Amino acid sequence: MTVTVKTLNDIIAPPGAAASALATEEYFINMGPQHPIAHGSLRLVVRLDGETVREVIPVPGYVHRGLEKMAEHLSWRQIIHLTDRMDYLSALMNNWAVARTIEQAAGLATNPRIETIRTLMAELQRLQSHVLWWGVLGMDLGAFTPFLYGFREREVIGEIFEETIGARLTMNYIQPGGLMDDIHPDFVRKTKQVLAYLKPKIDEYDTLLSGNVILQERLRNIGVLPAARAIALGCTGPVLRASGVPYDLRKCEPYGVYAQADFDVPVGAKGDCWDRYCVRIEEMRQSIRIVEQLIDGIPDGPHATVKFGARIKVPEGIHYGQIETARGILGVTIAADGKSDAPYRLRLRSPNFSNLWAVTELARGWRIADIIAIQSTLDLVVPDIDR
Amino acid sequence: MARVNFKDTRKETRTLAGKPVPVVVTARFARRGRLAVFADGLKSLLSGMRLTFGYLARPSAIVTRQYPENRATLKLPERFRARLRLKFDEHGYQLCTACRLCERACPNASIRILTRPGTLSKNELDRYIWRLDSCVFCNACVQSCPFDALEMTGEFEHAVFDRRLLIFTLNRYAGPPAGVLLKEPDEAKRAAAMEPRDVYGGPVPLNGADLPSVKALAVRPQADPARQGAAPAPGVPA
Amino acid sequence: MAGAAAPFALFAAAQAAPAWPVKTVAARAAEALPDHPWTAVLYMALAFAGLGALVAVLGMGLIYLERKIAARFQCRLGPMRVGPHGIFQTVADTFKLLFKEDIVPARADKTLHLLAPFLALSSTALMLGVIPYSPILQISDVNIGVLYIAAVSGLGVMGILLGGWSSYNKWSLIGAMRGAAQIISYEVSATLALLVVVMFAGTLSLSGIVASQAEGWWIWRAPVVGGIAFLIYLTASTAEINRTPFDIPEGESELTAGFHTEYSGLRFAFFFLAEFINMFVAAALTATLFLGGWMPFHIGGANAFNAVMDLVPPGVWFLGKTAFVVFVIMWFRWTFPRLRVDQLMRLEWKLLLPIGFANLALGALAVLYDLYFFPGA
Repeated sequence: MTVTVKTLNDIIAPPGAAASALATEEYFINMGPQHPIAHGSLRLVVRLDGETVREVIPVPGYVHRGLEKMAEHLSWRQIIHLTDRMDYLSALMNNWAVARTIEQAAGLATNPRIETIRTLMAELQRLQSHVLWWGVLGMDLGAFTPFLYGFREREVIGEIFEETIGARLTMNYIQPGGLMDDIHPDFVRKTKQVLAYLKPKIDEYDTLLSGNVILQERLRNIGVLPAARAIALGCTGPVLRASGVPYDLRKCEPYGVYAQADFDVPVGAKGDCWDRYCVRIEEMRQSIRIVEQLIDGIPDGPHATVKFGARIKVPEGIHYGQIETARGILGVTIAADGKSDAPYRLRLRSPNFSNLWAVTELARGWRIADIIAIQSTLDLVVPDIDR
Repeated sequence: MARVNFKDTRKETRTLAGKPVPVVVTARFARRGRLAVFADGLKSLLSGMRLTFGYLARPSAIVTRQYPENRATLKLPERFRARLRLKFDEHGYQLCTACRLCERACPNASIRILTRPGTLSKNELDRYIWRLDSCVFCNACVQSCPFDALEMTGEFEHAVFDRRLLIFTLNRYAGPPAGVLLKEPDEAKRAAAMEPRDVYGGPVPLNGADLPSVKALAVRPQADPARQGAAPAPGVPA
Repeated sequence: MAGAAAPFALFAAAQAAPAWPVKTVAARAAEALPDHPWTAVLYMALAFAGLGALVAVLGMGLIYLERKIAARFQCRLGPMRVGPHGIFQTVADTFKLLFKEDIVPARADKTLHLLAPFLALSSTALMLGVIPYSPILQISDVNIGVLYIAAVSGLGVMGILLGGWSSYNKWSLIGAMRGAAQIISYEVSATLALLVVVMFAGTLSLSGIVASQAEGWWIWRAPVVGGIAFLIYLTASTAEINRTPFDIPEGESELTAGFHTEYSGLRFAFFFLAEFINMFVAAALTATLFLGGWMPFHIGGANAFNAVMDLVPPGVWFLGKTAFVVFVIMWFRWTFPRLRVDQLMRLEWKLLLPIGFANLALGALAVLYDLYFFPGA
């Protein structure tokens, strides 16, 4: 099979122009696994013609820890803590995805309090994940200051988690049938403070980066992902929505208490890097909206409906559940034998793995620097790719 | 040539699989004149510079905390999970009954409980061994404890020069829990039932009970008295 | 100002006397030292030692400043540990770099790999020799100073090109090629902006250019033209010294470290030092050409005002202006994202260069018809 790739040079050169008399040679270059853009350990093998990218071949697997295999030896409760370590920027949402699947399979009921707190925590974490993404995007595109601003805001949200959960990154908070702990008495007050602090900060983000003509030129029309290709590649989350598909599980198949909250799904018009950027910025605003609506009405009730020590019985069969994390849909498939306390097989469909492969299509024909912009707006977290 | 206006988002309703979804379409670039674009671009650069200068000029905006210097004022939240601790009652008697539920709840075998036949009870705690080096601080042990005998504390300064020092014996004495001890009115008999245990006494010489992947040491490392924590429990013979 | 009130008499007197007798270090040395073949050798040795000390101290000071300023832009404290407020941090870092292993890639061109950092540093050090720091402190007043600067600054690209070429690393090579393309392109614009000032000043000598600004700095004395030339020169020199938003040759997130990826220890320190000295030189030249160098803020004819300004020593004026330009360049770096290679070229060839040419032409007309403030002064 032959694939004709239209590159920037082809576009620039008039059709039928004679090939340059200068003999040039394509070459391969390894971006990663140790590279500032790798954000961990991702390896991109890039075939280059000068500065022009001909091909990008992602080589994942450098942080593969076999989480799915490990889960087969752990009980239903114990596998939750593994999910913290996949997409560590949306640890709580990963917890929730697995816990929800187990709950659905085992028929465990939760109460409105649990669901509200879960929703609040998930939205706070989405916010936290997106502010960090914004900072890292700035750093990837050469502006170091946004990186620290992003971390500054991330820290503020981290303090809420620290107070209620006792951890900042690997939280292991959302459990099958409840939560690890009830919210801290200060949670509501602190969260409101943080929201008041964050709102002007997001406007500052617009001033510092979004409005910046250099950033706009770096993102505009770069790496256009048409909706059909996004769906075909299995992209989810902001990447899919930036291509114009309003597919958001929070809206389409509401879980938690998202059905009670009034929010919009940000979608892009074109699917380029700029749209992916704007969609995430807008998602931050929508997350703030959701938290604002829910924070005052946390219902009363116990924080867990199942005692921690109680044995969870998952009936035999294959069970599937999914949740919208900060990067897309995390799908959890559980095969249970109905007898043991552990999954027979756990399969995690991580959003980043599917989103990663978009880079192979998006980067072709652009420059080296555009790989950075594309990868940055895909917002990849490598441990989630490799698991 | 184009420029974007952020406020130019538009709300609409799209359908996805027959369901209406309220969406907000992000702002796109609008066609504008060359000069306007140039002026806007320059303005955007200047407004960014004004923002960063604002932070430069405001020392109150500094968020850095000077860590070792602020030890006195540094306060971690009470729920912070950094170090596992056994709880003791007001007499200094442990609450742990060596029921092994935490050992079973631990996802990566960081807890090992050694028991021995006791004088006051059939089975009592000999050593509660916690491996900080493999702990993931998932809090499952604390949650699973039916006697509320365990807690996570915010003591986070774990750095040591020898990783064998990361294997702790958490109990201060080998012996029965508070409930059993308090049933015995005779103080002397209580004391006789308890045998002191120090923080590094256990898994380092290992006492014959090998933990996975830890080999017995020829030389017992000097236990740092500062890391021993509290003084020996009252009623425990020195 | 003869009829002015008593307090102004002093200023008037100060103004009447030639405020700052201009004399270079070379001239002073020639006077002070006996005429002997060894004198020249001694003089050269002293100049080299002085220059070396200047480079080291300046470099370390600037690195410290950059780190502190960057920290404050980013709501951090910056270095705080070594010495009070971390002022010895760069000294400690220098020692660290000195003692680090000097790694040369196995298949590198050893000679060129060794040579490159020295080339990079020497080109900047050579420029330090002709900058008039103050009327009494200029190592050598070359009568073709501007031409010399334009020529020597072009030498710096050799260091980058050789460093990247000899490292036997694709990242280095890409960085070097980008660097060469960028520096050569922006040199055109920088030179066009320089020429505007040269036309107004009517001299190529840097001290002559400073002296020509006794009635006012060229940034405003040459109306509009001077300001535009200043902006072009600032942009072009930021690009020439490879700093954000034009740090494409070493673009950290793209090319790991660009042309100096394979450098470590002392040689890396040389590249690093060259970068910071370059920044100082660029700022000093901007100050000299457009902001009057050591010349205090003067308005032609307003003698009393000029006399007040003269109370501040010229060395302080020079340092202040240079520090301001350095700060602006740092400010750029800690605010802006990086351009892409083709955008960088587009900015130069499609925007700066046409504007530069138009500006030059306008400047020529302004000089021809004396359309600037205080002509003939």
